[in-house]
Amino acid sequence: MRRINNPLLSLTAIGIVLILLVLLVGWVYRDIKTTRLRIGADQKIDITPQQIQSIKEIGEWEFLSISDEEMVDTIRHGIFSDDHLVRIYYGTMRLGVNLKQVEPGWIVTRGDTIEITLPQISLLDHDFIDEARTKSFYESGSWTAKDREAMLRKAYQMMLRRGMTRQNLQIAEQNGQGQVRQVMQGMGFKHVKILYKE
Amino acid sequence: MSVPADTLPSLVTHIRQCSRIYTTEYKIHKIVTHDDVIRLKGTFLAQDFNLKMPLGDRKIAIPMDATLKTYIDMSNFSERNVEKTDGKIIIILPDPQVIMTSSKIDQKNIKEYIGLVRSHFTDAEMTNYERQGRAAIIESIPQLNILHTAQENAARVLVPLIKQMGYQEEDIIIQFRKEYGLRDLQSLIHLDIEHEKNQ
Repeated sequence: MRRINNPLLSLTAIGIVLILLVLLVGWVYRDIKTTRLRIGADQKIDITPQQIQSIKEIGEWEFLSISDEEMVDTIRHGIFSDDHLVRIYYGTMRLGVNLKQVEPGWIVTRGDTIEITLPQISLLDHDFIDEARTKSFYESGSWTAKDREAMLRKAYQMMLRRGMTRQNLQIAEQNGQGQVRQVMQGMGFKHVKILYKE
Repeated sequence: MSVPADTLPSLVTHIRQCSRIYTTEYKIHKIVTHDDVIRLKGTFLAQDFNLKMPLGDRKIAIPMDATLKTYIDMSNFSERNVEKTDGKIIIILPDPQVIMTSSKIDQKNIKEYIGLVRSHFTDAEMTNYERQGRAAIIESIPQLNILHTAQENAARVLVPLIKQMGYQEEDIIIQFRKEYGLRDLQSLIHLDIEHEKNQ
């Protein structure tokens, strides 16, 4: 067998091998550089239906709405550290009159004069907290349904204290008189007298 | 607990004078579910992959109730909304609107399944799912055929009131602007969007 002993040929072969090696390393490096890894979970809820549980005819005339935000916190003392939970609750109190509570003869007309006796201004709906809008502001430790229910009750009382003031009730009364007068004048009554039931 | 002062949200009370007659109340029930699976996603050697990790799953179901109410805004009511001819009175009412007035999470009946190596759902995660559930209820309003009932109930509330003014029931006509299409319905859903944007 004849042996090739040409140094030029050997150098060329080594050069080709080196070039191939560089290309291979470059290709692997490029792919490694574009490699992306991420561990995580989708935070979207599943699509589920909603059901109408009841439909009710109501007659509530609202004159004042008070939208409130309350930050409620709770603390649990531990041996080594304390646990905290801070949540922000949102709610809207609606003040007005319930037209289902009017008494017979609440409207008296004489020519172009009308006299209306409205029920007392009250909170139209005692369920006024939009709990599904609640924001979790700070949490350490684990908390139960009972803890969250207690916080909701606390938020409810805080909102009532802030919203159901004598001043707000008076504003609602005054606005109610103005609004009912406007509607009655629109209906053609020149003289409108509005009273609230004692 | 130390919370940086600049992260404290500003808590605001908004007081607004209004004149709205609420005519219909809807109670809506929804169970919000979330299936929390840890996945390894990425690209390797130009190939995309998405693998379920053997770390255990978490699942949660949150029952919630919401109250929707329809109302007629009477704040711009004037003689332009009233026509009187031949002893009859025609009241032309503005468009009914829909609002979510309250929502309630059934905390006691929340069900969780937590895999062995997973942590419990945090309060922030749960409130996030609840807010998504609330948004899903609002998005479904146009399919609930609420506004037709709102119109009927507005008449039921106003006709007795006008009867007290001396009109016969057959002489009272309550009219609305027009029939509503799906596009109209979207615009009549009143949301506290501005309020939420500020959060």
